[in-house]
Amino acid sequence: MGIDVQAILDGFLTTIQPMNLFWIALGGFLGTVVGMLPGLGPATAIALLIPITFGMEPTSALILMAAIYYGAMYGGSRSSILLNTPGDGSAIAATFDGYPMAQKGQAGQALAISAIASLIGGLIAVVGFIVLAKPLASFALRFGPAEYFLLMVFTLSAIVALAKGQMVKGFISMCIGLMISTVGIDLQTGVYRFTMGNVHLSEGIDFLVVIIGIYAVGEVLYNFLSINKPVGEKKSVGKIWITKEQWKRSKWPIIRNGPIGFLIGVLPGAGGAIASMLSYSLEKQVSKHPEEFGEGAIEGLAAPESSNNAAAVGAFIPMLAMGIPGSGTTAVILGAIVMLGLKPGPLLFENNPDMVWTFINSMFIGNLFLVILNIALVGILVKILDTPPRVLYPVIMMLAFIGTYTLGYSTVDFLILIIFGFVGLFMKMLNFPVAPLILAVIVGSDMEQNFRMSLISYPNAIGILTASPITIALVIMTIVSLGLPFLSSWLKKRKAQKNNSEAM
Amino acid sequence: MKKIVGVAALSFALILGACSSDNAGEKDDSDFPKKNLEFIAPATPGGGWDATARAIQKILKEEDIVDQSMTVINKPGGNGEVGWQYLSKKDAHTMAIDSSLLITNNLLGQSDLTYEEFTPLATLTTEWISVAVKNGSPYETATDLMEQLKKDPASIKIGIAPGLGNNDHLSFVKAAKTFGVDVTKLNFLVYESGGDVMTSLLGGHVDVATMAVSESSEQHLAGKFKIVAISADERLEELPDVPTWKEEGVDMVFPHWRGILGPPDMTEDEIAYWNEAFGEMVETDSWKELLENNGWEDFYQDSTETTEFLKEQKEMYTELIDESGLQK
Repeated sequence: MGIDVQAILDGFLTTIQPMNLFWIALGGFLGTVVGMLPGLGPATAIALLIPITFGMEPTSALILMAAIYYGAMYGGSRSSILLNTPGDGSAIAATFDGYPMAQKGQAGQALAISAIASLIGGLIAVVGFIVLAKPLASFALRFGPAEYFLLMVFTLSAIVALAKGQMVKGFISMCIGLMISTVGIDLQTGVYRFTMGNVHLSEGIDFLVVIIGIYAVGEVLYNFLSINKPVGEKKSVGKIWITKEQWKRSKWPIIRNGPIGFLIGVLPGAGGAIASMLSYSLEKQVSKHPEEFGEGAIEGLAAPESSNNAAAVGAFIPMLAMGIPGSGTTAVILGAIVMLGLKPGPLLFENNPDMVWTFINSMFIGNLFLVILNIALVGILVKILDTPPRVLYPVIMMLAFIGTYTLGYSTVDFLILIIFGFVGLFMKMLNFPVAPLILAVIVGSDMEQNFRMSLISYPNAIGILTASPITIALVIMTIVSLGLPFLSSWLKKRKAQKNNSEAM
Repeated sequence: MKKIVGVAALSFALILGACSSDNAGEKDDSDFPKKNLEFIAPATPGGGWDATARAIQKILKEEDIVDQSMTVINKPGGNGEVGWQYLSKKDAHTMAIDSSLLITNNLLGQSDLTYEEFTPLATLTTEWISVAVKNGSPYETATDLMEQLKKDPASIKIGIAPGLGNNDHLSFVKAAKTFGVDVTKLNFLVYESGGDVMTSLLGGHVDVATMAVSESSEQHLAGKFKIVAISADERLEELPDVPTWKEEGVDMVFPHWRGILGPPDMTEDEIAYWNEAFGEMVETDSWKELLENNGWEDFYQDSTETTEFLKEQKEMYTELIDESGLQK
């Protein structure tokens, strides 16, 4: 594409037209709100807005829809941190350390760092977009069925390895998730699996219903068990700004994981959930205090937040440069802008450079706006923690049911929601990690289909593993991520033994 | 004896006549529609069916073709099945988007509904289906490709979406079958969406792919892969260099149409109302613009023509699915 400074400036001038600024602000605000509500994700919000965009200038429509998308990335982590109920797949990783931080009385700081991390991740990705859109688009094409399959195996292995000391429980959790993902029509043969004659199940169980069930409903049920116990002293929400020490700890994780999230976002089909989970597990592996992860380590929140916002920006590259939607949300956006007469694809950058640059500039301004908005909201949002459970939990339940209904417009999902609410409750009581289950439900079906397709392309499993340099790298990374926890504990033991023998 | 039969038949006819005029009297068709209209998109918001329904709703309202207010409602699930099930229990103030899935769902054993139970109101658009080969493919033309498949049907990886028994799949099966290929041995890689198929063809992970022309034409024009045939009856304006299957010696035209379906048992007057309304709609500029933006072709047929068309389509799909080796 070549970087044309004049074009960038022109795009900037179009972006700061009052009307476009208004769309950015409106989209960012809507995105933050729907991101916060469990189940109501950006895809639903944008789909419902499509009739409104019919009369709009295509560029403005794109600006508005994109702002909703990355706005939801900011909003999604709000409910993860405050209520332990992620609004979306990409906000799950924010529960790992964000919720513990809130419980330690650092809710304000958690909200602040996640907004800052999102901003920096987003900006890194926008710069990446400007410099690398075209080459990355063609790199993403090298991911075929074998590569996707192994990328998903790697992600699952990384998330299972996180559950240190209880890897077996992690595996069980993952296997349940994989089994759930087999429900529905099998693409390669057209055979219906485990649908029990129910039409609605033919498209499988929506992972968002599983997320809402396990987290939102499960959390409410869990708290219900202790609702009549006297409430302890009022939880402090802490300062709303981070300390120097916290910034020092999260600075590098944020900067490191921006590019990682961006690269994963560019891969069609991978998306924010995979990006944020991988970033979290990477940070835990390289951290000097891995034992603090899961107990409220600030870098454990900063890393995935930077990563998932960068992934949202990256997902626009295949959409605009190749006309390929990289995620559910970009698929909806793509459909909407096609209706308006834009033709995303390899010719878009040549035919509509002004539109592309206006869009990129809008992401710069949008991210700045969102960080201001979200930090301004911190003071109000932390009040949620003061809300008495008798008021808060019915509201969460109601939102969970509304969100679920908007996903498939079916009451069958209510039943699934309740079932997974109890699954979540039991897993919590028995201390099973839930993340492997959720991630397995998200990637399971794609992983299986990609495996089956690779078996057509390569004669056997070994052929899949060694199909390309990318697959070999992914295999090695998988082995390392599963082996590392064992290796490090073995080394520690050896060291301890050595010390012991020296002491004797 | 004959006389008695005659009288019985006559009186039977009279009773029938009385009954039907009773119905007509109750309904008072002259002022149809007399309440809010429901327009079912049998899909989630944001998909192609939903967008089509909303665009139609907007044009019918803005051009003052339909006075009554009209609501689009989403009934996703089971390739349209949920929405059409819902429609089958409603009165004449309801209609739904339909496509060939209405026929194929039934033939594949996934649905008990048949088009005969409903009142077909119109066929509106079609998309043509393209077959493309990756860059650097040894097959320059569709004929080359088919010759190879005839020699060894399993030697080529064909990317399709979003499922077996779908138009993109069956149009390829039909072309291959017409050419004399053993279609039960073809190697299909089934992707979840048209976008995924495109990615895999661009990356060379499949050799051939079928896609709607609207999905593939930009990449063809940019030289990222090559469309070797389209399922239309003549060459398309935007792709003057791409031959039709007919030109490649395969006698086949395969539309991917979308239309409007009404509930069972609509009256003549109600049907006439929609014939007029849709007839007027397809002449408007905003409709033409919608077609152009989406890469759809005008395929308008009124209720009677559509009923005839669906009958032909059903025969065609029945034969095709029987011979494709699909599991039912």
